[in-house]
Amino acid sequence: MMPTSVYTRDRCVTGIHGLDEILRGGIPYGSTVLAAGTCGSGKTTLAMEFLVRGALAGEACAHFTATEPSVKLLENIRQYSFFDMNMVDSGLINVFDVDVLYSWLGLDKATFDLDDVHALIKAIVDIVNTIGVTRLVIDSVTTLCYKIKSEQLIRDFLFTLGKKLATLGCTTVLISEITSATENAHWSSFGVEEAIADGIIVMGDVERMGHLLRFLQVVKMRGTSHSRAKHAIELTQLGVMLTPMLKWGASSDRTSRWGA
Amino acid sequence: MGREFRQNKPLGGLTMFELDPMIAEQLTEVSLNSAVQVRCGNSNAFVVTASTMIPLLQSFGMGGVYISASRGAVEIIQAFESIGVDVSNIQFLDLVSSGILGGTDVPYSNVQFVDSPIMLESVLLRTLYILRTSPFERNFVFVDSINALSIYNDERMLAEYLHSFINTFRQREVLSVLINVPDQTPPLVLANLDLYCTALIDRGQVIIQ
Repeated sequence: MMPTSVYTRDRCVTGIHGLDEILRGGIPYGSTVLAAGTCGSGKTTLAMEFLVRGALAGEACAHFTATEPSVKLLENIRQYSFFDMNMVDSGLINVFDVDVLYSWLGLDKATFDLDDVHALIKAIVDIVNTIGVTRLVIDSVTTLCYKIKSEQLIRDFLFTLGKKLATLGCTTVLISEITSATENAHWSSFGVEEAIADGIIVMGDVERMGHLLRFLQVVKMRGTSHSRAKHAIELTQLGVMLTPMLKWGASSDRTSRWGA
Repeated sequence: MGREFRQNKPLGGLTMFELDPMIAEQLTEVSLNSAVQVRCGNSNAFVVTASTMIPLLQSFGMGGVYISASRGAVEIIQAFESIGVDVSNIQFLDLVSSGILGGTDVPYSNVQFVDSPIMLESVLLRTLYILRTSPFERNFVFVDSINALSIYNDERMLAEYLHSFINTFRQREVLSVLINVPDQTPPLVLANLDLYCTALIDRGQVIIQ
């Protein structure tokens, strides 16, 4: 009997050492992935390397920064040898300050209503469309959503944004700031981002005898089989590196400093 | 089968320090994708370490990573310098000095640090990172020592780690050399070393004359 051919989706190869193996080849093309992590867990570095690897392959990339000014972001990322400032100068990596975007749109207000949210979506989609962006990072979606007071509006915002970006063939990483990465924790600040996203990558720390060991875990990724194991990560000059976390060493999660 | 490595030139210039020549001979019989357990005692640990390291550096022309868990990297470098051996071509991964105040302020550029010997996954990843930047075609990973790692780590975790560590480097054709003082190592770890290592150099029995 002839084996049935299996349909596999095209992948956005992240180029991050170990992550593509976990994802059995990469992120399914056009997905919206939530990278949820505690402070200092390596979210921004991972996201920036995702863009750099894309830029190295000739893809146009964009980074919307809401947590720190773009100048500071670039200064911090320049310490890594995988990053080359020429990628920014040549327009392969485009960094946008969200505060500047708000000013352009006249959104200098404390809270956003439906029209404001639609204006924001349109602005992001227009930029992606104009530049031909295929890899996008929003750092962080938590900060972006602080101004959207209704849970329903946040849901609409993320769902519409994800759908429009997928139509344009853009693979998106939404960074989410969380205070706990244990198994009982929410993987998003507002509780709705995780339901909208096609994929969820959780990053945090495991405490082992007083030392914090960074970990990464892919808990969900639509359109591909993937490992759901915890992986230890190391931020090196060459980029993020991953290895499966020791099974006997991952059991101290419940005593993590981030609480149970 | 991995590529075999051969002795390029004889050992020389070590008149003041008595090496164990049989170790170099045994090393000629192992391939690059091997994992060699080197058993020693407390009193002959440095002689055995030097007798293993020096052929790798001088005769086989290899580069690599020296993971120091028993002593700080500076002490090891200076011990080699005292017998006239230049170890500036290999990278040291020091697992003990970071926990000492000022311990990371060292006069050698080929020393990197991991916070603690319990950060076993970080040790593996740092070693892989160093090997990615190594200019040498043939590399080794030298662990000094398994018994020192067992002071800090649960024996089940260390046994699991050895499985992962040895197989990672065998796949990459990087020679693993694991120094061990057997009577200071838990039985489960010893059993796993015996299981996963492909060669044994046994200098664990020290005969006092």
